[in-house]
Amino acid sequence: MADLKKFEYTMDSCNHCGQCKWILSPKMHGWDFSQICPIHVHFGFDAYSGQGLINIAKEVMNGTLQYGDGLEEMLYTCTACGACDVNCKNVRDMELLDTILELRAHCTEHGALPEAHRKTAENIETSHNIYGLSHENRFSWLPDSYKDDEDADTALFVGCSVYKHPEPALAAIKILRAGGVKFKLLHEDEWCCGSTLWRTGQNEMAAALVSRNREIFKKNCIKTVITACAECFGSFRAGYTRFGENEFEVLHITQVAADLLKTGRLTVTKSRESMRVTYHDPCMLARLSEPYIPWEGVIHPYGLHEPEKQWRRGEHGEYHAPREILNALPGIELAEMPRNREDAFCCGANAAGIDPEFSKQTAAERRREAASTGADAIVSCCPFCRDSLENGSEYPMRYLDLTELLAEML
Amino acid sequence: MSLSREIYNELAAIVGSAHISDKPHILAGNRAKTPDYPMEYKSAEAIVRPGSVEELQAIVKLCNKYGIIFAPMVSGVMPTAFASRPNTIIIQLSRMNRIVEINEEDRYVVIEPGVRHVQLYPELRKRGFSYTAASVGPGGSVLANFTSTSGDHHTQHGNSRANRYLLGVEMILPDGEIIRTGSLQTGSGWFCPDGPGPGLRGIVKGYNGNHAQFGIITRIAIAIDPCKGPAEPEMSGISPHHTVRMNTPCSKVIIYKFKDIDHLRDAMIKTGEAEIGSTVIKYFYLPATLMMTDSANDFWKMWTDEHKAELTMPLIVHLATRSEEEMKYEETILHDIAAELGGVRIKREYEEWWENHMDFFMIVSRLQSVLRLGGGWAPIKLASDSVAHICEVGKNINNFIHDFTDTGKIFDAPEDYQIIPMEYGHFAHIELLIMWDRTDPNVMKGVGEFRAASRQTDIDNHFHAEMPVFLSPGSMQIGPLYSNFHIWLKQLKEAFDPNNVANPMM
Repeated sequence: MADLKKFEYTMDSCNHCGQCKWILSPKMHGWDFSQICPIHVHFGFDAYSGQGLINIAKEVMNGTLQYGDGLEEMLYTCTACGACDVNCKNVRDMELLDTILELRAHCTEHGALPEAHRKTAENIETSHNIYGLSHENRFSWLPDSYKDDEDADTALFVGCSVYKHPEPALAAIKILRAGGVKFKLLHEDEWCCGSTLWRTGQNEMAAALVSRNREIFKKNCIKTVITACAECFGSFRAGYTRFGENEFEVLHITQVAADLLKTGRLTVTKSRESMRVTYHDPCMLARLSEPYIPWEGVIHPYGLHEPEKQWRRGEHGEYHAPREILNALPGIELAEMPRNREDAFCCGANAAGIDPEFSKQTAAERRREAASTGADAIVSCCPFCRDSLENGSEYPMRYLDLTELLAEML
Repeated sequence: MSLSREIYNELAAIVGSAHISDKPHILAGNRAKTPDYPMEYKSAEAIVRPGSVEELQAIVKLCNKYGIIFAPMVSGVMPTAFASRPNTIIIQLSRMNRIVEINEEDRYVVIEPGVRHVQLYPELRKRGFSYTAASVGPGGSVLANFTSTSGDHHTQHGNSRANRYLLGVEMILPDGEIIRTGSLQTGSGWFCPDGPGPGLRGIVKGYNGNHAQFGIITRIAIAIDPCKGPAEPEMSGISPHHTVRMNTPCSKVIIYKFKDIDHLRDAMIKTGEAEIGSTVIKYFYLPATLMMTDSANDFWKMWTDEHKAELTMPLIVHLATRSEEEMKYEETILHDIAAELGGVRIKREYEEWWENHMDFFMIVSRLQSVLRLGGGWAPIKLASDSVAHICEVGKNINNFIHDFTDTGKIFDAPEDYQIIPMEYGHFAHIELLIMWDRTDPNVMKGVGEFRAASRQTDIDNHFHAEMPVFLSPGSMQIGPLYSNFHIWLKQLKEAFDPNNVANPMM
């Protein structure tokens, strides 16, 4: 059951300092690209921000605000990208994102979940993927020549996005093979990771799916899960740990590849035309990927948490590996966007089902920022960021998947 | 009372339907109680977001026509930016966020209300300039910094308080008329605060700022200073462990501690007489500790007697020079002053923390971490006078604060006041920062008693110590210490705002 009361300390601590909306000062660079909350940029009202959402959570908890009249749409237009959370936690001991997620769970339990997310959950239940496509076709892209390393205790988890974008999965296979990593696929055993479920507050379903997937990993003797998708990575690392400890290690393909390059087990043999690129940090690979650390205890006067709380401030997300790979590619010059790493601006993908126009505008804003670096292409490694960033008429920019880019140059 | 559909539609016709809302969940984002303010805010009837001076003027005229109160807001850091009574609309000014002009030759910049410190500061720094940023954090409105505060700030030793940098002003009076002050009034541009005839800056600005009691300031020009140090400081790391360094031999932070306020005062005066130092502060030891730690629990581990002794009476000096020779000179003078007055250099690791967080000296970054203990806090005093007078005020705090710290009514940090000289010691500003346990439902009674005790001490000692704030009962009590400003203020308010629609607040 959702328990908003758990986050009352956060709700009552906000002084409207604005750090949930504005870039951290060490990243300040000028007038433009200085905001970090996509919904605040787009809608402007303070309610559309981390501060506003925790104010709303408090009123919902107290019963002075009811669902309806657009509240639930607003709640799910927030992409839950975590920029507010990380920026707030730079200076405060508050849990903005967890409060928003708890409010979503509350919203779900009160029957106000928007239809788009209800439909996704239904798809996962019936077809085991977010799109509602046939489960039998999940691996239809796999070449006949592919063979598992049967005795491997490492699985490559391709994710639902493989229905639309099989290329990153194929690239991941190529990289792992080239690096001599023994692995196998889960084939018909692979179901959706459940990211959409726990991030939209559908926790009961999420818990069941997490449990099922953990059993599958155990059944297949999997000790390490490598994901080809940033969303799955963040889900396994930061989402599953909300439902108990993982008994498997989680790695993203960029982490594996960076390590293979560093240790000389993977060599870039080809070159390509010189190109200036910029890198977009996917939220679920970067600031949102820190494992969840449960805390229960008492908050004494003046914020003393007993027992001591281990804070997740986004510091230990994966920021380095993708950049190490890009820096290792001949002919590739990396130009950072003003909002990068923990302050990266979300692509807006998560809101596509709720407010497509907002989602499009947010992606356009990110492309505009990418263009400001003088880059020829925007590189990332999340299929959902790809959907968002590569299909837009405003500030069009070439999108490159990092895994594919590396695989091409092996 | 809620706005009639007719009035709502008239407002929507001015700003466009995307920029107005009276939906309950939108209003909820601007009515939550904050832990630093004792009162519950009222819910606004609507929030309106104009995008231009013309739209804003039309809104103000409409408010006068229908008797609707307006409270302008940018960041919402100040409690004055909320609805204080029914029948109020909040005018959210964040769409008016243009940097209108950066005039490098005449050294001024023209801005709208929605421009934030984190936007303007780097734009100016890139061009070799800086300005005086008050302590509101990166998202604070620069315009409010100059028009709705006393203008004191952390780096004013080497320059001056913000209100002395305020040049031309454009504002909409409570009745909707647009006025322009300074050279702007005569069409001569933004460069000068005063034009022919009586100056209006006193009305626009007052002692502690306008807070929209006399209308809404729409554009201001501020003077800018050439900045010392690199245009782009070296920034690295991931939050919260990032660093901002001035990797140059021409920037150093040196901190001496002194045995008492008298010795610290003399050191402060002598650094001013020698005209050394970009920033000189006797800084609060409680916020300093909070800024150095990652969480409240970290704070409690660090908050030891040894640590407090190190930071109780510190003189934080940022030396910023244009040459290594100049740095050597300033450093030598500073060390001589400290030696003469028995100053002891504090732990190097503390100095290093400041050198790794130079963004503090730019836009007072990380200051919001003072809220980490739950958010119950208030700045008390906040006035300015001579360095010697202000140090007497500081010394006197010990005469009344222990009744409150010892009984747990406020946080036990009796030395938690800062003194910042300005213009090389011409004046100094004091701020006593108190915190309280906001989880205690009865805490505000004790906080109120503390405020009263502090004020009474000022009255008894004829201290210029508390900043008079608007027409609050407390401010009126100390009015005689400030030329009976409150009587003037009341008359001006009645003259300028006959319908009492411009953010009446109290």
